[in-house]
Amino acid sequence: MGSQAAAITSPVPVAWYPTLAILMLAVGLIVTASFFIYEATSSRRNRSLAKELTTGALASFFLGFGTLFLLLASGVYV
Amino acid sequence: MGPIVIPCSNYKGKGQDILAASSSNNQIQILNAERRIDLSSHIVKVFLTLKVENVGTSPASEIFLAFPPSQADQLALVKAQAAIGKKKKKSYVHLDVNPTQLPDAPNGTKYFSISLLNPLSSGETATLEVLYILTHSLEPFPAEISQLESQLVYFRDSALILSPYHIKQQTTFIKTPSTKVESFTRVEPTKFAGRELKYGPYEDRPPYSFSPVIVHLENNSPFAVVEELLREVEISHWGNLQITEHYKLVHAGARHKGVFSRVDYQSRASVKGASSFKHLLASLPPRVHSVYYRDEIGNISSSHLRTDYRKSELEIEPRYPLFGGWKATFVIGYGLPLEDFLFESPDGKRYLNFSFGCPLAQTVVNKLTIKVVLPEGSKDPSAAVPYPVEQHLETKYSYLDVVGRTVLVLEKKNVVPEHITPFQVYYTFKPIFMLAEPLMLASVYFLFFMACVAYLQIDISIRK
Repeated sequence: MGSQAAAITSPVPVAWYPTLAILMLAVGLIVTASFFIYEATSSRRNRSLAKELTTGALASFFLGFGTLFLLLASGVYV
Repeated sequence: MGPIVIPCSNYKGKGQDILAASSSNNQIQILNAERRIDLSSHIVKVFLTLKVENVGTSPASEIFLAFPPSQADQLALVKAQAAIGKKKKKSYVHLDVNPTQLPDAPNGTKYFSISLLNPLSSGETATLEVLYILTHSLEPFPAEISQLESQLVYFRDSALILSPYHIKQQTTFIKTPSTKVESFTRVEPTKFAGRELKYGPYEDRPPYSFSPVIVHLENNSPFAVVEELLREVEISHWGNLQITEHYKLVHAGARHKGVFSRVDYQSRASVKGASSFKHLLASLPPRVHSVYYRDEIGNISSSHLRTDYRKSELEIEPRYPLFGGWKATFVIGYGLPLEDFLFESPDGKRYLNFSFGCPLAQTVVNKLTIKVVLPEGSKDPSAAVPYPVEQHLETKYSYLDVVGRTVLVLEKKNVVPEHITPFQVYYTFKPIFMLAEPLMLASVYFLFFMACVAYLQIDISIRK
């Protein structure tokens, strides 16, 4: 049964975890920086909610996945 | 106590309580029985070779094995196989053995029934090989010994093999670990030479003949007994299997009395703690990583891990050598790659193929609990175990859990190293549920950004 059955592995190769963690966290932090720079440089009247939401969503997506791969790379297999 | 005549009625039904299943006592006769009892370690292994003949008229599909009630409680495993072919072309076929009950059992005898592959017709003979394993059967006597003494134990059994059938010829060989045997009951003809004690051959004994014997022998093998073993197997679909094992180890031999002298123990002059042990060997699967060995105080550094492409061996040395009655409690944990153990079955279910039993060599486990923690979102767990075990479900809350993980708990008592075989746990899982964890993390970050937006939009200044 064992030799014919397909082995199940992770959808992302385990060797990629540290690299993916660093890349995703770096991109996420850059987008976070862009979000706060936008907040700081614009006045309340000029702000566009759509731009804030998209930047926030993009930043949280990359930060979320980056945190996941960081946890997996450090041995906490969630 | 002659043969019991039971009316000839055959109810055929495997695995059910069979009432008056046979006129077996008249039908089957054992032509030759040879029993080899191995007392080299504290786990008693008995190899029984039976040559049975059907002297009745109707075919027999079951052969019964009888055990005295005290031995039946200590039985860990009964296996049987049939020999097919002769001499060089011999092959063995595994046979099912099930505990059963017979009416009119004298003195509370317990029975096991071996189901034959092909019913034995009248006049035919068959050769069966039975292996059964007894635990906690060697009673230390004297019950307390000092550090300098050697350990002596009693082994109680019968010179005649207990059986519901007439046995024409039988011999029993007892193999002792050393040449030192203090005493043994003589049931002529008895012979003791070197490391072997021979009872027999005995001719023509009626059913249920029993002749108790006591052998008082020296046995210094390590009496390592794990009182409780809890093994937790946590499956993570991101590529890892995390195993945590909690052991409560005890030395179940003659209790240690008096002082423990480290000087005597480490000097080479005298026999020091011959029955004590300080090393234990755990056999782990290959490609194991992140192995740790700790107890309540902290990490125990006296261990060695040797890995191979076929297996890994962890040799652990508890903080102190174990003498009779001494206990040690510790935790061993390690990680394994998921692809070695998790597979997909043809009907779409996933299953974990893992080994049941205790990785420590030559130990008896009084109570073994295996908990398989399935990832969040798994449904319909079921287990396929080759032995009867108690199962129930629990919930465990671990990393990034919302609804909790289903845990399948398997429990078994009296486990020996021969029980180490693979078992499977089946469950269904939709791969899309793996996204739940990163999306949960991303939504937490998103909430933080929205809180920033809201804070920056709110005007809380008093002055206009």
